[in-house]
Amino acid sequence: MTTIPATQSPVELVADYFGRAIATLESWKPLLAADVAAARAAGPFTSEKLDDLVEPYAHRTFDSLDLPVYGAGFIAALDSLADAGSHLAWWQGAERTKLVLASQSINKEHIDYSELEWYRVPQATGEAHVAGPYVDYLCSDEYTITVAAPVAIGDDFIGVAGLDLLIDRVEHDLTPRLVGYEAHVTIINGVGRVLLSTDARRETGDTLRGSDLEAFERHPCPGMALEVLLH
Amino acid sequence: MRHNEGMVVPPPPVAKTGSARSGRPHRLVRAVFQPIGDQGRAALVERRIADAIMGGVLHAGERLPAETDLAQSFGVAPATAREALLALRERGLITTRRGRHGGSFVADTADPTTFALDALAATSRVALRDAATHYATITAAAVELAARRADPSEIALIRHRLERVDPADPIGWRRASDDAQIELSALSQSARLTREQMRLQAELSPLFALADREPERRTATRERFWALLDAVERGDPTTAVELSRAAVRDAIEWLIDVRETLVAP
Repeated sequence: MTTIPATQSPVELVADYFGRAIATLESWKPLLAADVAAARAAGPFTSEKLDDLVEPYAHRTFDSLDLPVYGAGFIAALDSLADAGSHLAWWQGAERTKLVLASQSINKEHIDYSELEWYRVPQATGEAHVAGPYVDYLCSDEYTITVAAPVAIGDDFIGVAGLDLLIDRVEHDLTPRLVGYEAHVTIINGVGRVLLSTDARRETGDTLRGSDLEAFERHPCPGMALEVLLH
Repeated sequence: MRHNEGMVVPPPPVAKTGSARSGRPHRLVRAVFQPIGDQGRAALVERRIADAIMGGVLHAGERLPAETDLAQSFGVAPATAREALLALRERGLITTRRGRHGGSFVADTADPTTFALDALAATSRVALRDAATHYATITAAAVELAARRADPSEIALIRHRLERVDPADPIGWRRASDDAQIELSALSQSARLTREQMRLQAELSPLFALADREPERRTATRERFWALLDAVERGDPTTAVELSRAAVRDAIEWLIDVRETLVAP
């Protein structure tokens, strides 16, 4: 793990942690867009061709990022492929297994991901987004954070580049580095859901809203819809 | 650094003389370390796919993933996936077409209603009620937590999706309502409860789907679910739990009535 200078504030620490995930996705996004543009020009663009293009970038995300990456890949914009209405070019787990939705217990192939936060927000805003925590019943089946960045060829949105972090691992990583400040540190997302807290009495997954929030000193994290609460 | 960095554990060496010395039958000790064998794994793969076909999760005519994809996804050897497909073909559940648009497809004769009615008739009342108890308990626990934790915008998304389903289409409705139930349970923020909900949904959905064939029951189920979403949205766990339990009770009583007509002499 990178050594964090002691002068770093909790907000800087959190923004740096998830910011590194965003930076990695941003680094390969334009390369993938160029690959896809070239492949599209060469003939019908299928999910299989997309998989071949995405796989090296997914591996790069696992290998180069100093974060506990659980899954990585690219989710195609709906109706953007020649042979499928939707497609996830996604690798996950210790063995980096390719995700195949049709063979899972419920038929996840039919789940419409266009309204899920990790797809909807980057598509709508054109910006990278830290989505969750949420129970990811599509890919990991675990309590997950998905960092996602929109990919476009010119103005044409072609999908999102993404990576998954399991909350379990994020808690292991971040909590020890957030203790030792004068106040307890709690990270919440845009709807007030607790991602983690140095206060053991505060439960991950609970939602803080309205008057619940009055007791805290609130600090938005720049570049992502997360807030650091001090209490 | 990756999660669950896999470590390959070598098989434990079995001492040649150890078992004789301790008086244990040598063969039994050896049997412990026998390879699990791909035979058992092929049967598992076969059962998983057969359940999905008989449950209507995979539809008549639907294409199965390619053999190599199946193998990779189940974490078995390609030969094992092939063996499972062969067994499914022998049971008449899938057909295989050759050529460019070839592959394995769910057989056109695979009718989930027939499979579900057969399963219902073959299941005892006690087993049905026990399954309903399990389902009701998991669902109630999940919606209780969801009512405490969900943001109204998350409920609005579930409602929005259900609104787009054609009420005249029972298959579309079943798919959408299974998804909606899982999405609602996921709002509990509990991965374990959500996984259990998915498992139970896959198991019981074919039976619940029998009621969907009657338009008035479909409407009633829809209205109940709407009321449940309202309760979760306004953060009312008590009502949410009551409504979800009542819905399961109603579904199981109806199924038991149907079962009685099926098994009547």
